Amino acid sequence: MGGENRYLGLAYLSPYIVGLLVFTAFPFAYSFYLSFTDYSLMSSPEWVGLDNYTKLFTRDRTFDKSLKVTLIYVFSTVPLKLVFALFIAVILNYKLKAINFFRTAYYVPSILGGSIAIAVLWRYVFADTGLVNMVLGAVGIEGINWFGDPTNALFTITLLRCWQFGSAMVIFLAALQGVDKSLYEAAAVDDANQWQVFRHITLPLITPVIFFNLIMQSVQAFQEFNGPYIITNGGPLKSTYLLPLYIYDKAFRNFEMGYASAIAWILFTMIMVLTVVAFWSSKKWVYYAGDKRS
Amino acid sequence: MKSTATFLTILAAATALSASVNAAELRMSWWGGGSRHEATQAALKICGEKYGHTINPEFTGWKGYLEKLTTQLAGGTEADIMQVNWPWLPLFSFKGDGFADLNSFKDTIDLSQWTDAQLDAATMNGKLNGLPLATTGRVFMFNKTVFDKAGLDLPKDWSELIADAAVIQEKLGEDSYPLEVTEDNPVLIIMLIATQRTGKDMIDPATNRMAWSLEELTDAVKFYGNLVDKNVTRSWKSWASEGNIKLYESPKWSDGKIAGSYEWDSTYFKYADPLEGKGELVPVSMLKVDGAVTEGVYRKPSMVFSISKRSENQKAAAEILNCLLTEKEGIEALGATRGLPASKIAAQTLMDAGVVRPELVSANKIVMAGTGPTVSPFNEHPRIRESFKDAIEMYAYGEFSAEEAADEIIYNVNDILEKYDQ
Repeated sequence: MGGENRYLGLAYLSPYIVGLLVFTAFPFAYSFYLSFTDYSLMSSPEWVGLDNYTKLFTRDRTFDKSLKVTLIYVFSTVPLKLVFALFIAVILNYKLKAINFFRTAYYVPSILGGSIAIAVLWRYVFADTGLVNMVLGAVGIEGINWFGDPTNALFTITLLRCWQFGSAMVIFLAALQGVDKSLYEAAAVDDANQWQVFRHITLPLITPVIFFNLIMQSVQAFQEFNGPYIITNGGPLKSTYLLPLYIYDKAFRNFEMGYASAIAWILFTMIMVLTVVAFWSSKKWVYYAGDKRS
Repeated sequence: MKSTATFLTILAAATALSASVNAAELRMSWWGGGSRHEATQAALKICGEKYGHTINPEFTGWKGYLEKLTTQLAGGTEADIMQVNWPWLPLFSFKGDGFADLNSFKDTIDLSQWTDAQLDAATMNGKLNGLPLATTGRVFMFNKTVFDKAGLDLPKDWSELIADAAVIQEKLGEDSYPLEVTEDNPVLIIMLIATQRTGKDMIDPATNRMAWSLEELTDAVKFYGNLVDKNVTRSWKSWASEGNIKLYESPKWSDGKIAGSYEWDSTYFKYADPLEGKGELVPVSMLKVDGAVTEGVYRKPSMVFSISKRSENQKAAAEILNCLLTEKEGIEALGATRGLPASKIAAQTLMDAGVVRPELVSANKIVMAGTGPTVSPFNEHPRIRESFKDAIEMYAYGEFSAEEAADEIIYNVNDILEKYDQ
């Protein structure tokens, strides 16, 4: 590229580069600095070294609780959601009547799912006098305290997340349709049953997409905010108090920006470590077409 | 003739020049709903025209306003005039230097329209940081229709209310309760009981530490536990089963299954409106415990108007504030969109004009007539309120004893207050 063209290219890229630096890179780096400070917004950040991190791991019971709840939430939501999304994708991969209608219908919740309106709706559906308890009552089962009982509240929030399986499902569906049909024909010749075909042909061939969905869904689950904020506000007894809620409260209710930044960096580190572990483990279970190991 | 015309031309030019020299461009920020936004904009237009200033409005809903204001104050980009919630004053101006000292503008603002107590409440470290807009307080409100159905008079003290609970449950069903003590109310009721028994606010003004002993606070926590045991209120767990919703949104409130609450007087209509055609909401005098040394009314300025300490047009901002709060045209335009005004002339003007509804006046009278110690703004410090509430939730779920909850509260409150030691 000639000199002038290079500058022109950079000029075209500059809005993005400036945006990235100002709105992403700088806040990212600055929050790391803030995590070592005591900063209430109303005065200059005061360097406190590792105090925030020490407090988080030794004296903050709320953090312990929130961390535990977040891990339970992620490790229960992600597998459930992926299995369910794959199951529905397999069904929708069959040539059924009105298949496009069903594909659209199953995708709709994921368009609406992250919205405040759906969280409000969820609150009414699972309230003590809500739809679910009405149905249970109609079949003679006593209503359940979904939100008031700490053991049920997280499950209710988890269900909302699983209900938003549409985007993962659509990606699975695209992967299923990309599997080479000749492999199925060969399996039919060998008299393989449907489970054997799925287990030994379909599943290995879509592992790159399973891996992609696993990473994306895990990152999103770690960042969940709307559902628990609107439905239970983190309660009862902090049983739905995910780390993003704790970060929000510390930053914008208590104005402890340094402390909130430290929590945010712990959350980031957890996501990072789990992603690295997932990438490392992928060598053992993800199959890429053309891979020399195959 | 020619000389007269020349003189008039010069005079007109001089007047115009003078007006443009004094004219200031200001910004004003506030939170509220639609009616408040409309009224405030109209009032700003009128007062702006009167003094030759332009005021650019910046308004939002309640949610997010504190975050926005904090960010602006931290960045030095706050508006010239700001609506500030009273409990936020120590957050932004513990030493009194977070906002302009309005005592410096006593020639511009008619401070005689506020009582000394009102001005004291908005004074931080000797500096008047804001003008109180209204005085508000917690008041008991009961659905009289429900009490009538149960054949009961409205309660006059706590022992009557506790006795009423049994009758209401027997006559109207086990899911009926005379009072709602959930969300923030367990904290406020415990504070009320401790104040009534000791005569002290939660924060000792002399030491800026928890004023109640472990024993006093434990007894107050137990009082709340007793209210749940005696079915005066539903339990925390039962309340949480509805999800994160407000009482006035709950069908249990509109259907009369919950027949009372302890709310800000200014929110009367928020609770009365859902009962329209089904029940009559009546504010009553403070309920007292046996041996109370005070009614313990929780009374405070609801919010203040402050002027930025960085504003280059503080005098112009003071003129606008005076217009909004003490001059007829400003008062009438602003109306009662921020409750019954604290400014004497504003309250009188609006009452004479019939703008303030009698129910609101009646609820406010109870608050104003009640006795109790001066309330510290630290009572509503976000971390203090949160830690108090967390401990009571643990108690409500059986994770803490009353004594453990009280101990936790005292430790946390003092720990938070310690950071404000000069």
